[in-house]
Amino acid sequence: MLSRIYPGSDYFLLAAIFYYMAAASVASALLAVTRRNPVHSMLWVLALFLHVAGIFLLLGAEFLAAVQVIVYAGAILMFYLFVVMLFDLPAEEVRPRFGNHWPFAAAVGLGFAGLAWIARAGAGAASAEAEVAVERVPQGNLRAIGTALFGPFVLPFEIASLLLLAAIIGAVVLARRRAA
Amino acid sequence: MIVPVNVVLALSAVLFGIGAFGFLARRNIILMLISVEVMLNAVNVSLAGFSRHLGDLRGQVLALFVIAVAAAEVGVGLGLVIALNRNKPGAAVGDLTKLKW
Repeated sequence: MLSRIYPGSDYFLLAAIFYYMAAASVASALLAVTRRNPVHSMLWVLALFLHVAGIFLLLGAEFLAAVQVIVYAGAILMFYLFVVMLFDLPAEEVRPRFGNHWPFAAAVGLGFAGLAWIARAGAGAASAEAEVAVERVPQGNLRAIGTALFGPFVLPFEIASLLLLAAIIGAVVLARRRAA
Repeated sequence: MIVPVNVVLALSAVLFGIGAFGFLARRNIILMLISVEVMLNAVNVSLAGFSRHLGDLRGQVLALFVIAVAAAEVGVGLGLVIALNRNKPGAAVGDLTKLKW
């Protein structure tokens, strides 16, 4: 990160970049869930994924940012685009985007956001301590994450690989054309 | 941290709310799945923020597992969508009334 090279000098620049990333990800998330054309939604959600990757970078999670770009923006989104283009969706252009219950859905969304905001109080007196917490993050993010993944987290790691194998087999079985 | 952790958590809460709204309001099954991805991303933002705030890498490891689960969910979910599309063309959830009587 820049601040490691020039400590303090670009604090405001980094903060400004963070707020831009935050505003852009909220805007692209809103556009992604409201666009009529599914392909436009996909492209807005791609913008969301890339901005979230930028936020990960600013939060010192370099490996997470790389995985976000490779797995989310690369693999998962490509899969979605592939399926959208496989389908013929002419009805999407004329039918209403939202069900009649969309005010209820908006209330639930606001309620969830409010709940998450209330639950944040459990994090303790956050903002006062946050300024000094930065020094405790170990440098060499990738080495530390690899050590954690193959150390204390080796069992969840193997279970995740088993889950992905099961998902591959499940997807093949579900999407295969039945010989009839 | 360059911004207070509260800002990161507020961003995560807003993104999660947008994802929940999209999941409940949209009628296209593919866009409902996309809204789930938005929610998972919101959770990852808050995990990374907490990881930075507490100086604890376990948050980032947990976010990696969230991404792995998201990949599995996409695989099975879109497989189901393709299977559904074979029985009944289109992706509107309102049309899936076969079990209704």
